[in-house]
Parts: sequence; structure tokens; C-alpha cells
Amino acid sequence: MAVATTGAALEGIGRRTAAVPEVTGVRARRRPGRGGWFLAFWVLIVAILVVPIALFLAVAVSPALLAQGPQWLTLEPFRAALTPQLLVAFADSAAMGAVTAVLAAAIGFGVAWTVQRTDLVGRRALTGGMFALLLTPSYLIALGWERLLEPNGVLDLLGLPAPGLRSVMYGPVGIVVVLTVKGIPFAYLAIGNALRGLGREFEDAVRVHGGGRAAALRMVVTLLAPGVWAALAIVFAESVSDFGVASTLANDSHVLVATYSLYVAVDSFPVQFPVAAAISWFLLLLVVVALVAQHRALRGRSFRVLGGRSRPVVREHLGPVRTAITGAAAAVLVVVALGVPALGAVSASLIDGLGSLAGSHRWDLSNYQRVLASPDLAHPLVFSAWLAAVTASAATALAAVCARLLAARRHTAAGRALDLVLLAAVALPGIVFAAGYIFAYNLPFWTVLHLHLYGTTALLLLAYLATALPSTTRVLAGTMSQVQDSLLEASRVHGRGAVRAWFGVVLPVVARPLLTAWLLTFAAILLELPVSQLLSPPGRQPVAVGIETALGKYDFGGGTALEVIAVLVALAVVALAFAAFRLLAPRGWRVIGRTR
Amino acid sequence: MPKFPRLAAVTGALVAVGALAACSSTSTVSPASATSAAPAAAGASAGAPAGVQPLTLYAAEGYDTAVAKAFTAKTGIPVTVDDDSTGPLLTKIAAEKNNPQWSLFWADGDTAFASLDQQGLLLPYRSSASLTAAGTALEPADQGYTPTGTTVMAALIYNAAAVSAVPTSYDDLLTAAYRGKVGMNDPSQSGPTYPFIAGLMNQLGGEQGGVKAGEDYLAKLKANGLHVFPTNGDTLHALENGQIDYGLIQSSAATGEVLKVKPTAAFKPAIAYLPKATLLPGAIAIDKGAPAAVQAEAKQFVDYVLSPEGQHVMQTGDPSGDSLFWPIVSGVTALPQLPAFPADYQALDPRFWGPLEGQVNTWFDSTIK
Repeated sequence: MAVATTGAALEGIGRRTAAVPEVTGVRARRRPGRGGWFLAFWVLIVAILVVPIALFLAVAVSPALLAQGPQWLTLEPFRAALTPQLLVAFADSAAMGAVTAVLAAAIGFGVAWTVQRTDLVGRRALTGGMFALLLTPSYLIALGWERLLEPNGVLDLLGLPAPGLRSVMYGPVGIVVVLTVKGIPFAYLAIGNALRGLGREFEDAVRVHGGGRAAALRMVVTLLAPGVWAALAIVFAESVSDFGVASTLANDSHVLVATYSLYVAVDSFPVQFPVAAAISWFLLLLVVVALVAQHRALRGRSFRVLGGRSRPVVREHLGPVRTAITGAAAAVLVVVALGVPALGAVSASLIDGLGSLAGSHRWDLSNYQRVLASPDLAHPLVFSAWLAAVTASAATALAAVCARLLAARRHTAAGRALDLVLLAAVALPGIVFAAGYIFAYNLPFWTVLHLHLYGTTALLLLAYLATALPSTTRVLAGTMSQVQDSLLEASRVHGRGAVRAWFGVVLPVVARPLLTAWLLTFAAILLELPVSQLLSPPGRQPVAVGIETALGKYDFGGGTALEVIAVLVALAVVALAFAAFRLLAPRGWRVIGRTR
Repeated sequence: MPKFPRLAAVTGALVAVGALAACSSTSTVSPASATSAAPAAAGASAGAPAGVQPLTLYAAEGYDTAVAKAFTAKTGIPVTVDDDSTGPLLTKIAAEKNNPQWSLFWADGDTAFASLDQQGLLLPYRSSASLTAAGTALEPADQGYTPTGTTVMAALIYNAAAVSAVPTSYDDLLTAAYRGKVGMNDPSQSGPTYPFIAGLMNQLGGEQGGVKAGEDYLAKLKANGLHVFPTNGDTLHALENGQIDYGLIQSSAATGEVLKVKPTAAFKPAIAYLPKATLLPGAIAIDKGAPAAVQAEAKQFVDYVLSPEGQHVMQTGDPSGDSLFWPIVSGVTALPQLPAFPADYQALDPRFWGPLEGQVNTWFDSTIK
């Protein structure tokens, strides 16, 4: 029976599938309000994503439209943006983004496999490490490396000077290392969620039919293609739009990257929004290339393997040699990815004057005592935690719909448009996105209508939602593309309404990925800076702005201590959420992806 | 069509509820809890006298919240403080250009103010306060903004435990004794640094040939091993870890470092001022497009800032940071921990040098950095 089942499953894998007819009985019962809800969904997407992005991009060709210059129609901003330096910067960004995406996807796959499919001791710590990494801003990772390698830095103080490593890390290699480290958790989540839904029947089928371990692995990789491509697309887009590394390691090592040029246009005086918009067009172009590659790779193939009968996977027993190798690789990853930024944070917040000729170099908790005693900590942290929780809830729900649209069996124009809009949002750095929100929601006619969205917490939440939606959707896309339509259709045929059917048969198989997506969004929003900086209501300071303010006043100890506390709070939320899922979720919800 | 239209509906409802909840949370903020930055000063006009309009202060001064709080306590006019770095605030002001939301803007450096003034965004206003000679030199002819105090750019901070040579002119920094030992900030990332570069240009060649003379000087400084770091804090850090021995940074940051650090055998920061030191004023301006009632209150705020009481709050609001400025209001004395005001200083014409900021910064980024 098992062979028959797996053999049948294999038949559909990797081949181009004909469109399967819809369950006509279900479609026949369409209710009058359906179109209305569809319209409402798109109104929301247009309001939070399309309008702000479109208005910002429009400034490149029509500065006068938003009082950013006298011309109503011009290409001058493109001419101003297209300097030789910018072309070099784009070439650098594209090359480093591509290398980063491949490396992060490969490492993310390895981590996901180790965590889910092997019996490596301490594998759960790797999951925690991925979330810790997700919470760590890229600039902190870069600063960690700088603290380690700079003259009179940690290695020098320890008597281990490494000028060779310093010259390598202060360049493109170092930038790729930091971006890869930052991209790994995105890749891990996208691929891991897809891997979790993959029962063991496919590997069994390969082995039963005479295939070896390598053939089984090839099969798994093929089936995980949606997750892998989602990982590649996310990491590429995140890398080319990253500013944390651009403003630290890339800046200090004088490597030109595209986002730096964009920030110079937006964040220095005089502010040049038209030039920034022109640069954004080019960034978008890079991401469209990634989107096209993803689309071409997956076109016409079916990867629907996630049903209610997915069979639990048996963990692979690693012998002593493989345990040693895998454990060593995991240890290196943790040290490189987390140890270095942790060192940066510790050196700034816990040890007086580490990496400096000044100070006692003694352990000292005074920064934490000062921060904990200050009212400036509690309010921003609670405010940000509340914003992050609301955003994560809304983004996860909306992302589930978006991911389902992207994973639709028939690629509709709506799905393709949504795909483009979501990737465009990833391609544009946060500060650009926030400026688009000001353009869109501070127009005088809102005042005429007595709708004052700009400067309110509501608009900040909507901007957070829009910022989070692309990544959250990508993380869920792999899982959603695996959900077999027959699950829902069977439930509908047996008389359940759409909502009850979804909650009854789909939610159990996607519950854990949804939880993961919620936590991803919570963590990302808790320490989000650029959107917070431009859109937070005057007088209500999110925690990231508080950290930035402290750092801006040369209070590195206080700012970093505040950051460490925020990261610890987020990690506590992650741990509590997983514990609650383990204890409280119905047993069936925990079965999918379970190993034994 | 989506597979789950009702799920989309539920999602929409969730988002809408979240937004409404957020709206209500904003609208019910009380003056006492509106902000962590300005707990007592900010908020709506809920507790304010009838007819009073709340002011919105965009500010990048360490003492701004303390001053706003004291002003509200004195006048009953609530002030909502948006306290951030100068860069993001200028980005917001630029993005809001067709519907400004700020009443007052307060930050260091008058070149940006001059540019905003030239764009017609600032309300001319002259407070009745009497200014010193340095303050008068900083006043714009059309009163588009008001100087509130001054620092200088640059102070030369050096590690007296590592080096004994102290330069007395900018030309000294081009000699072999200083090769590879000098650092400064990147003007694209550090607000106070463009005025320093503009000051060098003004000093070396005036408004006619200054740009070329300044570029030549910086090119020579680069050839002598100049290091460029993003901001004051990064340059200070490079001084602390021995990467450089001399740093050209804002005077308040240099003074704060000297006050903060306990000297050791390896690190003892000290300050020198090379002629000419360029004045870098704190400046405050009023939105020209604000309602008349708001403008009248904003003028009261400016008057309060220049009053002895307001100046005292400025001097005590951020003791190791922005409070380390030299007063420009007659009769107000500098804090005792500040060194004497540099005798050889210059005040730039921000209306000439302000518009050149983008061009000079681009040149610096592509040539010097």
C-alpha cells in the first residue's frame, strides 16, 4: 500500500501538469459577496503597497507632482543618478546579492535538514539560533566583525593580530559573509517550512525503486524547489536593499553598493527624492530579474505534496564521524553568525572600553542598570512590542492569502501582479518606503476630508504591515504551494463552508508555518528602524528609534544595552510561543512535519 | 480569484480592527503619557487652556525635550516633540513639503536652515533678546531662523598620552609628523562636517576660489593619510582604539569625550582649536505655512529659548552632550567645564555655502573617502 501510494505521488512530481478542473460543485455555490471581498483585498494591497511605491517612483519622472522640484515631466533624475560610481555600485550589489543568495540558500537548506532530519545533539539550539539571527540587525553583525578585527580590537587585545583576515573582511568578501549570515534565517524558514511538509513517502519510493541516498536527496531538493526559489528571491532582494552593511562595513572598506547611493540622496542635505526614486527604479529592475528567474524555474510544475496523509519522517542517525563533522559545521556557523555580533554587543554594553585604549576593560553592568532604571526604556519597548504583535497578526493572516494566491494552480494576472508588488516592496529600502507613505498619506486632500492618517499609530501599523508582508508571504509561499487543493475540495464537497473547511483541514497542516511566520514578523518589526523613524507619531518613540538616538549621542554602551534587552525580550516571546504551541495546540496540528 | 475569499475577508477585518484600535490609541493619548521623550510636555491640547493649539517641534538637540517640558509648564502650551537625528528630520520636512506637519524645527547647523529659508518655508521672526557679537554674526539678514547657541567645527581632539606634537594650523596637518594619524567625519553622514569643509574652503579661498582651494587642501590631506569615518562617534572610537591620534570633530562631542574619559597611561584626550574655527550654531525656525495661532505660540517658544530661563534649561538638559555649547545671548555665561571660546573664529554665509552642500559632498565621497 505504501509503495502504491508513494508511486502515485511520484507520478506527479516534476512533470508539467495539465490544469486540473475545479470542483464545479464548489464554484457553483459562489455567493454574491465574493467579488466584494476580492475587491476589498485588492483595495488594501493597493492602499498599503501600490500607492506609496508608485508615488515614490513617480517622483523620478515628475518631481512637481509631490512638490519635489519644478518639472512635471523629466528624465533628469535618471541622468543625475547614472554616475559611473552608481553603475559600479549596481554591479557590486547584483554580484554580491547573487552570491549571497546562493550561499544563504545552501546553508539554510543544510541547517533545515540538520534540524528536521537528523538526530544531531543540540539541533534545537540551531532553531533558536536562527531566530536570534533574524533579530540581529545587519549593522550589528558588521560592527561585531569590525570590533573583532579593527586595530586594537578584540583580537589585537588578545594578542592574536590578524591583519590578513582584516584586509579580507574589510572588502567584498566580508560584505558577502555578513549578508549571507543575515540571509540564512530567511532561507532556513522558507526551505524549512517546505521541508517540514514533505513526508517520507517520496524518499521511501526512491529507495524502494532502487535509488540511493543521493537520488533520494535529489528528489527532496526537486520537491523543495518552491521553497528554495523563494529563499533565493528573498535573500537576493534583502541583500541588494540592505543598508545596515552598506553604512558600516561597506562604507568603512569603501566598497560601493547601490543602497548607499540611495541613502546619500535621501538622508543627507539637500534631500534629493527624485534621484533616490531614479535609483529605486534600478533596484526594482534587479529584483524583477530575480522574479523572472524564479518564475521560469517553477513554471508549469506542481509541487503539491502537503496533504493530511504526509507520513512522519524518521530521523537519520548520524554515526560518530558524521556527527563530528555536522556538529563542527554547526558550531562554526553559530560562532560566525552569532558569536561575532554577540561579541560586538557585549563589548559595547558589558565590558568597559573593550576594543579601546580607554576604560578599565572590566565587566560592568552599569549600562544595563542605567537603561533599566530609565523610563525611556519601558515605554518604547512596550510600544514596539504591541506594534509588533498587532502587525504580526495582521501580516500573517494577510500573507496566508497572498501566499495562496501566489501558489494558485493557475497563474493568474492577479497572482503575477501581486508577486511583482511584493518583491518591489522588498527591493525598496525602508526609508524610501516610508517616504512613499508620507507622499501618499500627507496629501492636502486628506486634510480636506478630515482624515489625518499621517502622524498616527494607525499609519505606522499599516506601513509595518506593508513592510512585513513580502517576507512573510515568501516564507509561507513554499508551504502554501504544497497544500493539495483536494484537501479543501473534499471538505467542501462534504458540506463545509469555505471558512470552516479552511480551519478544519488546511489550518492543521499549516499551523506551525503560520506560527513561524508570526514570530518572524514580530521579531522583524520589534527592531525595525527606517519606517519607525519617519512614520512614528511625534512623541511616541519605538524602541529602534530610542536605540538610534542613544547611538547618535555616542552612548554606545546604553544604546547597545537597550538593543540586547530588546533582543532578549523577542527571544523570550519566540520561546514562549513555541512552548505554548507544543503544550496547547491540538495533537493533529503538531503531527505534520513530526519526526520519530 | 483567491481560493479563500472569506479568509481574505477575515484578514481585511483583522487589519481594519487593528488600524481602528491603533487610531483610537493615538487619539486617546493624554498629555502626560504621550511620549517617552517628552512625558510631561507632549500631547494633545487636552489639558491646555481654551484656544491653545499644540505645537509640534521637530528637534535634534539633546536638551529639546527638557526645554519643551519647561515651556509647557510655564505657558500651558503643549508641545509634541519629535526628537530624532537631523538627517531623518530633514527627510521628513522635505517629504512633507506640500503639507507640512511641523510648527518648529530646531537643530545644529545653519546651512540647512538657509536652504529651507530660500525655498520660502520659514517664517521671518526676530526675538527681542540681545545677542553677543558671535550671535549677531550668525543671524540671517531676513530673520528666517534664529541662532540659539553655538558650537564650533572643528575641534581637534588628540590623544595626549600617545603624541606630544600639537598642530597650530591646518597646514601643519599636511606635514610628515601627522602622516596617517588624522581622521575626520564623512560629510554625507555627519551633519556638522559639511560646515567644517565649507569653513575650510571659505578660509582658504573665500567665496570666489574657496571650493577649489579647499578641494586642493583635502586632496593633500588625503595624500598624507587622512582617515574618514562616518560620524563624530566613529571618529572618536578610532581615536580611542589608536587607529588615529588626531580627530577633527564637533566641539561639543570633543568636550564631552574629555569630560567623560578618565585619563590612563595609554589614552588622554585633549583639545586644540586651529584657526579659524567655524561657528556651527544651533538654530530654530518656524513653519511659514502654519496657522497664525500656531505661529504666535511658536514665537513664544523661540522667545523662551532665548530667555535666561530657557538658556539655563538648555545648559542642564544634556550635560555631557549638546549642553556643551557657547551661549550667544548677552548675559548668559558658558558652562564652567567648557574651554574658552576660540578667539579666531568665522561665521559662514549659509546662503552661499548651503546650496553647494550636495556638490561638495559628492566630490568628497568620490575623491577623498
